Amino acid sequence: MMAPVSSLPITAFKGRAFRLQLREGLAGRILLAVLLSILCAAALVALSGHNPVEAFGAMAVGAVGSPHQIGAALNRTTPYLLAGSGVALCFRAGIINIGAEGQIAVGGIGATAAALAFPLDAPFAVAASLLSAAAAGAVWAGFATAIHLGRRVHEVLTTLLLNFVALLLVQQVLAGPLGQFGAGFLQSPELPRAAWLWRMPSFGAHSGFLIAVVAAASLSFVLWRTRFGFALRVAGSSRPAAAYAGFSLPRLTWSVMLLAGALAGLAGGIEVLGVHRRLIEGFSLGFGFKAVTVALLGALEPLAIVPASLFVGLLEAGSLSMQRQVGVPSALVVVIEGLTMLFVLAATVRRA
Amino acid sequence: MAPLLKMRGMVRTFGALRANDGIDLDVQPGQILGLLGENGSGKSTLMKVLFGMLPPDAGTIIFRGRELSRHHPREAMAAGIAMIHQHFMLIEAMTVVENVMLGWQQAGRVIRTAAIAAQVREASRRFGLHLDPAALVATLPLGRRQRVEILKAILRDAELLILDEPTSNLAPTEIADLLAILRRLRAEGKGIIFITHKLPEVLEICDEVVVLRDGRVSGRAPVAGASRARLAEMMVGRDLARAHKPVPRTPGGVRLSVSDLTGPGFGSLSLDVRGGEILGVAGVDGNGQIELTDTLAGMRRAQAGRIVLDGRDITHAPVAARVQAGLAYIPADRASTALVRGMSVAENLMLRDSGSSPYARGPFLTPVPAATKAQKLMTEYDIRAAGPSAVVMRLSGGNQQKIVVARELDRAPAVLVAHQAAWGLDPGATRFVLDQVIALRDAGAAVVYVSSELEEVLEISDRIAVMAGGQFAGEMPTAEADLKQIGLWMAGRPE
Amino acid sequence: MTEFLAAAIRIATPLMFAALGGILSERAGVFAVGLEGMMLAGAFAAVVGTWWSGDAGAGVLLATVAGAAIGLMVATVAVRFRADNMVTGLTANILALGLTSYLLRVLAGGGQPVAIHLTPLAAWPIPGLADLPVLGPLLFVQPPLTYLVVLGCLMLALFLRHTQAGLTLRASGENPEAVFAAGGNPLRVRMLAVIACGAIAGLGGAVLSLQQVGTFTDGMTGGRGYLALASLIVGRWDPWAAAAACLVFGMAEAFELRLQSFGVPVSSYIVHMAPYLLALAVLAGLGRSSKLPAAIGQPLQSD
Repeated sequence: MMAPVSSLPITAFKGRAFRLQLREGLAGRILLAVLLSILCAAALVALSGHNPVEAFGAMAVGAVGSPHQIGAALNRTTPYLLAGSGVALCFRAGIINIGAEGQIAVGGIGATAAALAFPLDAPFAVAASLLSAAAAGAVWAGFATAIHLGRRVHEVLTTLLLNFVALLLVQQVLAGPLGQFGAGFLQSPELPRAAWLWRMPSFGAHSGFLIAVVAAASLSFVLWRTRFGFALRVAGSSRPAAAYAGFSLPRLTWSVMLLAGALAGLAGGIEVLGVHRRLIEGFSLGFGFKAVTVALLGALEPLAIVPASLFVGLLEAGSLSMQRQVGVPSALVVVIEGLTMLFVLAATVRRA
Repeated sequence: MAPLLKMRGMVRTFGALRANDGIDLDVQPGQILGLLGENGSGKSTLMKVLFGMLPPDAGTIIFRGRELSRHHPREAMAAGIAMIHQHFMLIEAMTVVENVMLGWQQAGRVIRTAAIAAQVREASRRFGLHLDPAALVATLPLGRRQRVEILKAILRDAELLILDEPTSNLAPTEIADLLAILRRLRAEGKGIIFITHKLPEVLEICDEVVVLRDGRVSGRAPVAGASRARLAEMMVGRDLARAHKPVPRTPGGVRLSVSDLTGPGFGSLSLDVRGGEILGVAGVDGNGQIELTDTLAGMRRAQAGRIVLDGRDITHAPVAARVQAGLAYIPADRASTALVRGMSVAENLMLRDSGSSPYARGPFLTPVPAATKAQKLMTEYDIRAAGPSAVVMRLSGGNQQKIVVARELDRAPAVLVAHQAAWGLDPGATRFVLDQVIALRDAGAAVVYVSSELEEVLEISDRIAVMAGGQFAGEMPTAEADLKQIGLWMAGRPE
Repeated sequence: MTEFLAAAIRIATPLMFAALGGILSERAGVFAVGLEGMMLAGAFAAVVGTWWSGDAGAGVLLATVAGAAIGLMVATVAVRFRADNMVTGLTANILALGLTSYLLRVLAGGGQPVAIHLTPLAAWPIPGLADLPVLGPLLFVQPPLTYLVVLGCLMLALFLRHTQAGLTLRASGENPEAVFAAGGNPLRVRMLAVIACGAIAGLGGAVLSLQQVGTFTDGMTGGRGYLALASLIVGRWDPWAAAAACLVFGMAEAFELRLQSFGVPVSSYIVHMAPYLLALAVLAGLGRSSKLPAAIGQPLQSD
């Protein structure tokens, strides 16, 4: 039935690689999945007695109708793009990292702490805060990796569980050292202006989007044009082959996890510095898990994750308009995201 | 007395390969029949057909007077045939009795653990199995685990047991215990088919032996009165007068020196291979070959001993360092170790050399020089594919192996370790691979050529060693090859 | 004291349902990351169902159906289509969140969430036992679903240990090939297990919305599904131990609330972190001797 697989005591990890069947027609399948989910959403809209075309139209207008709205959409896209690219790289290497949620949160803590503790002049303030955010995210991912490699616990479990610890950590930190006394809810004091991200005039999009695009392009370059990227792709396809090729699986795991953690942390920092200008409770909710959606929608290719994250960003930005103008609850967007993901998973999975 | 099992004219082909080419087989009740043969002789195929895992192309099977045709394992089991696989189908985290009850309707919807446990104890006593129903399978040594499989067969009233290489994972004492159990089963009137390649066991336990070679019965004899030599010959049986003509070569200095190398699955091996020499390692698959080759290549850690390549001690060197030192490796697992099938020809050609030019400069890959190099290799080694970016999965087995050969040999290595290098290839591709290896030898490299195809090993090697039970059973220059002796070595302890 | 224990039981009950369902799924070999979505769907269906039909029983039934529907979704994509368990579970959670929020508003027809206010389920005192001193009011005067969860623990434990079906389920999570060799169908076993997981977790949601609060609000499960996952890991996939873990987490939270009311500066966040850290510790400490089902999360080979 099954051919015996050679065991590799030095480099063996139980082969639970997450494999996307990367064959032709992948783009087509993904588009089909998106289409199907939009159709289902249209059905849901009709169910509520509204006109789907009207609803989607309002959503589109809400997303790109004015420069300010486009800016909001781009802001919305940024964390998905950053975190999604990092997650995509992990998945390419066969490492299922679903810890972006927590890494983003911790990144926010890092940025806030740096901005508040070291009041520097711009642009150093921004650079220092973002660096701190990335470092925090990387450290958080490092914890998960250490437990995974050191105690042989599946990385999915370690990254998942640490998410919740991180979210609670944000609350703890806001109730303590970084909090603003006297505020009605958990938030930090407003960060010094020097640490605010530059905002495009009239669009209101912060520079974070540009950072994210540059990051995605760089990651694509790394994936396809560097030795490290090659090693990742080999490891994701076949662990024995990676060992045969002379790559060190533990070293690869550390590298890609720290990188992904840094990117997610950076996303958190950007949210704090660019959108809220302070650390607030729950600022990161949902970004991390949806980053996984976005990574899969983009077929694990950072350049394709740009349109994929834009898709999600535009959806979410337009949802409030849709609710206001047409009366279709904005929660529909979450449904679309969930359905898309489900269909993409079903359509693109490895078939033995 | 009517035979328990009657198989007549069994034919089964896989493409051009006639795995079973008109085999007749009888098993009597209360008889242990040995089924002897090398890898590829057709033993496993025959048993899979009997057990219903594969349909035959032709032939009839009559079991207990009734014909079995177009059946699945479930029907075979219901009829009273039990197969004890080489890799056990047990749940380690469960107890013996739970494993017995799994999928067994007699255990009931609400499982009658206590009642079944009593049955387990009873059968265990009757056949000398020494199994504790409450023991966790994970705590049992391999020999005991096998007995759980046998127990399952007994409790389900199997009349014919098929044991596939049952002693391959057992220690000598465990083997003795197993044979004792089989004798008791025989005394109860069960029929047993004992598949093996080990002659001493055949002589010890079997009543009759059928020898398979290349899909046909090459010999059939009662064990009493058969001699080892005769059986070995039936198994290996090449034309004794066949001449081997290796091109005489004066080998250079020792390039690969292995002393007392030990690892899980193989133990204390020593060998020296000179430049311009091919050491062939023959032996039935599963006797420590892959453990040896993987350890030489650096993919498994050696527990003891030394490996020295051109004077450099590489015993604990990582894989990449060994490649740098001039060690090339063609692993047996083409599909998921030697190649990444989802990637392109060019990417596979650079798999082990991705750090050096022309494939990369520093940390960056250089796709244009890489493609040029790939194109050159494709021409040189006649790799038939649409281009360097063709996906490897699409290529034929022969072309896939040519990629592996091209990659490893183009480096002009000092030492090549090849394991099953021509496995599954058509004659043309096989010829190609062998020619390349010989050319490498002629260029002064040392080659360790491991294969379970004796003919191939005999053709290509200057010296031949035989691996059995994780050790070298013997070694001799190929020119003086004594096939009877080699057969004996392959089949167990030498005379 | 009894108030404290009563609070603990109250907090623990929905968790226990989810944990029981999760054990079914995980022991069959599928990671139960979708518990959150299954609970949420159940919570929604229980309230809406009761509001529509006027009958709490119908609401509870609908909760099971809703949870099972999410379970079916997860089963199809993760087991039948062999997608990664974890990602599928997360997706189901996102989907359930969206669907329940959406439907809640659609029902009112005006884009505003329907304001449903139901009386939480009343307690059913068990005659005789309810009159026992101390224990009586604490243990035997509980709303019906709480009794059900205890019964559920017992039934699951018996099922796993003493039935052929339970044996097959456990085997599917350890070595599906052996199940196949023994004539079983591991694919069907896994799918049924995940659907059943959904149904039971849906009941947990019903406890939350119908039995305790009396209404449904967006995302009201608030991560309890993940907490249940942590507790079944801490309980090492055994029904009674997982239930005990849920109770311990409930006590920790109840304790922390008590302390807060006394002005003791215990950080509630650290307390809330404890279950996840504990689960990590259990996983890390177990290492090789983990009782994690051996074949969990591994896709089934096609033949």
